[in-house]
Amino acid sequence: MRNWIIPGRLRILLLAGLLLGAAPSRALDIKIATLAPDGTLWMQEMRKGAEEITRRTDGRVVFKFYPGGSMGSDRNVLRKIRAGQLHGGMLTGGALSDLYKDAQLYGLPFLFRSYDELDYVRARMDKTIAQGIEKQGFVTFGITDGGFAYIMSSVPNRRVEDLKSQKVWAPEGDDVTRAMFENLGVSPIPLPLTDVLTGLQTGLITTLGATAVGAIALQWHTKVKYVADAPAMYIFGALAVDKKAYTRLSVADQAVAREVMERAFATLNRQTRIDDRGARDALRKQGIEFLTLAPEELAKLRSAADRTTEQLGKKGAYTPALFNVLQGHLDSFRRRPAAATR
Amino acid sequence: MIRPLLALFLIVPLAGCASMLSSATGRLASDLSDAILEQNDPETVEAGAPAYLLLIDSLIRDNPKSEELLRSGAKLYGAYAGVFVKDADRAKRLTDKSRFYAERALCRHRAALCDIGKRPYDDFRTALADLQKDSVPALFTFASAWAGWIQAHSGDWNAVADLAKVRAAMERVVVLDESYERGGAHLYLGVMSTLLPPALGGKPEEGRGHFERAITLSQGQDLMAKVEFARRYARLVYDRPLHDRLLNEVLQTPATAPGLTLSNTLAQRSARELLKSADSYF
Repeated sequence: MRNWIIPGRLRILLLAGLLLGAAPSRALDIKIATLAPDGTLWMQEMRKGAEEITRRTDGRVVFKFYPGGSMGSDRNVLRKIRAGQLHGGMLTGGALSDLYKDAQLYGLPFLFRSYDELDYVRARMDKTIAQGIEKQGFVTFGITDGGFAYIMSSVPNRRVEDLKSQKVWAPEGDDVTRAMFENLGVSPIPLPLTDVLTGLQTGLITTLGATAVGAIALQWHTKVKYVADAPAMYIFGALAVDKKAYTRLSVADQAVAREVMERAFATLNRQTRIDDRGARDALRKQGIEFLTLAPEELAKLRSAADRTTEQLGKKGAYTPALFNVLQGHLDSFRRRPAAATR
Repeated sequence: MIRPLLALFLIVPLAGCASMLSSATGRLASDLSDAILEQNDPETVEAGAPAYLLLIDSLIRDNPKSEELLRSGAKLYGAYAGVFVKDADRAKRLTDKSRFYAERALCRHRAALCDIGKRPYDDFRTALADLQKDSVPALFTFASAWAGWIQAHSGDWNAVADLAKVRAAMERVVVLDESYERGGAHLYLGVMSTLLPPALGGKPEEGRGHFERAITLSQGQDLMAKVEFARRYARLVYDRPLHDRLLNEVLQTPATAPGLTLSNTLAQRSARELLKSADSYF
């Protein structure tokens, strides 16, 4: 809280300066919405970065945050940005792919098998994704990990066949998850995120996809007893700022903002990786069992994922040529001698 | 995705320390704790509390089986760590001891509860269901010490995961005796219900109900309940009029109240800080 008092005072000083005719121009407010609740590490890092930017631009650039989803869902945030009420948002993969469809690529089902694979691909493709988003009028400061989602359930799903008798959750509006489960012969139950805990408690759903951190933060871990230990989907996000607003900053101020925000998001990316590991350990300590899937079951999941990916491609959900580039990186990683044992 | 918000369980769990002991030891502990609670200068308490913590340690050494002394130890270590200690490592150490004393107190109260915290969530809830009203003091102390411990260990996901058990314990306290410690369990439940925004499945209205009940049960005397109501609920739902009204009420109410003077003095400080930062928040 003390952190906020300082920029508040700074602004008052600046305003006073303006009245005296001392300040060259009015401070530029950049309004950013995020789902992350205030006080979380995400907000702390963003606020810290924002304060540094304000300080180093002599108060010309001021970030104002709307945390905790107070501006609505990702899609509402995008609408408000387009209407000029907001200038940016911390968006998750789904909303980023609304801006630029190929952001979808990282979130395809069962695409990555490990963080090593993910890091190898991201080092080669993040720039392309960022440029794609920028062409759609949004500046980003680096993609940030949200961890891998896993299939979690209140009864053990050791075989793909087991899933068919389960009540599986698909996030409302998440076509990728829905298509994936349909390819496994399961009709998932669409529910908004807000109804999942109640759904688990009442038995309306028994199986869902979630990251370890998400499962603990949202208390789903109290109802889940098993985790199928294979990454089902990569969860990620990025701060996207409307280019029209951003380019109102002078070139020098933009450079400061970029340097600071890229650093903040690199820090977050490292921390979420640590959190993911810690949260997985915590799930184990809470008595949740991690199931190692038999190779033939894993193969069935992957083949359903391949079908899903192909269908999405045919629907134009991503650019096939770019998917081939990504697949090429994965293939070369998997061909490396060190990867062969994975 | 996100690390849940656990900032500041700044609820002062001091009231009702050691009042049950009839021996000279009990009277000493009780008188000292009353003196602390009635103090209107937090700095005096901050400077003097470490000596009292050592004293409590020594009293517990002499009476290792006294549930009341163990509870006093748990509360004082927890409160001191939560209110005055900014250093993260010290907070961890001090809340370790608070939790240790609270676990021992619960274990002394009923042997079947000795390892309750380590049980999986469903077993934990089953064990709670057996408890009756006579278990409320031990259970409330245990749950609040655990909450403080989780706050100090919030970098540890297993600690964060246990918050669900603290919640279940406080819910049981509310069922058994909601008025215990002037509705303290409601205050904890209010904080826990407002950790997540509605967009992530949080239910702030549930939290509001708990805060309002805590205020009612303390007859408006516990100013910390109003401060937390403003800090947690009003900020979460962006209700500036409610935020400012609650905090101004806190500033206009005399801090002096039996057993609440210290806590209320601290609450008024927080109220001033929250009002000062309101413009940049809302």
